[in-house]
Amino acid sequence: MSMKERLRLIVPSPLHEDVKAYAVSYSLSRETEIESTELRRFAADLMKSISDACIKGGAKVIGHIKAYIEHASGFLHANTVGAHKSFQLNGRDGDPVNSFTLVVNSIVYGLPEELIKDATVRAIEETSSAFGLRITMVSQAVTAGLTEKGEET
Amino acid sequence: MKLVQIAGWLGSGKTTLIIALSRALSLKGSRVAILVNEVGAIPVDGKVIQEYGLTVKDIGGGCICCQVAGNLMKTLQLLSEGPKPEIVIIEPTGIAVPSSIRATILSWGRKQDVSMGPTIVLFDTTREEKLLTYESLKRLVSTQLKDADIIALSKVDMASAEAIARAGESVRLINPGARIVHLSTTRGDGFESLVQATEKITVQV
Repeated sequence: MSMKERLRLIVPSPLHEDVKAYAVSYSLSRETEIESTELRRFAADLMKSISDACIKGGAKVIGHIKAYIEHASGFLHANTVGAHKSFQLNGRDGDPVNSFTLVVNSIVYGLPEELIKDATVRAIEETSSAFGLRITMVSQAVTAGLTEKGEET
Repeated sequence: MKLVQIAGWLGSGKTTLIIALSRALSLKGSRVAILVNEVGAIPVDGKVIQEYGLTVKDIGGGCICCQVAGNLMKTLQLLSEGPKPEIVIIEPTGIAVPSSIRATILSWGRKQDVSMGPTIVLFDTTREEKLLTYESLKRLVSTQLKDADIIALSKVDMASAEAIARAGESVRLINPGARIVHLSTTRGDGFESLVQATEKITVQV
């Protein structure tokens, strides 16, 4: 293998430098059950809220904001490419639940990692609060390198 | 083992197409495996694909076009020694450079019994203006498009006729040699031609 090939294997492409990402997973719960329609509304509101916050923070282009919600009897996959666009929502609703896990990936062009993180976390906290959900962060990562956290909000 | 790359900028519809394509190929009797590489450090796409009953392997830790190209080679090696699928569909990150992935595959595949299918690059017709405005983004998206054998103008069901025409002109200027397909995975436009291309086209490299 040539030196050029070896370098290509470890160095991120310079074409990637203006695209940053933040990923986070949470555990969410509420004493009263959440029906599937309400869970879908939560996912939709969350997509809009994160996207709006990134744009307000100065993002040039929303790359892709994705959420995956998983619970005992179903899952939801929500994603959006920007505040002015409609979001997509697919999955299997299942039964009403008291708790679920949430993974969010926010990938944005033209916004520093820390601002993507702030926008994403704030949007998750505010949207969860609006639905009366208690949240606990399970893990998070800015672009690369996973760090573990376990803070209850 | 035939390797087909489905690339394109973030949110262009790669995962949706791959789910539909894999199901269609499986129904026709092909054994299909999917390799997914994501920008986000906590995978989402692989989980979604798995929920549809498809065989998927997540490659994490960075982008397979540069940082973790070695992991792509290891995964292909494992597939070729183990399940030996007939078709491997590779979904790189939305920021990946397809020609770099092709180079990695070629350097691994020299001594293997593999063939290279088409590189299909999706271009979101609803976002043509944004994707080709900002300098560094335009450079990345143009590089992806230049590497395509087939360019799928995606989400045509959500775009105006003018936007589709404009997107078509833009991508044709960037890659005049690529075949252009108008795609709506949800409505079915162009889908069958991509199924056939995946099955029948083998690219000489």
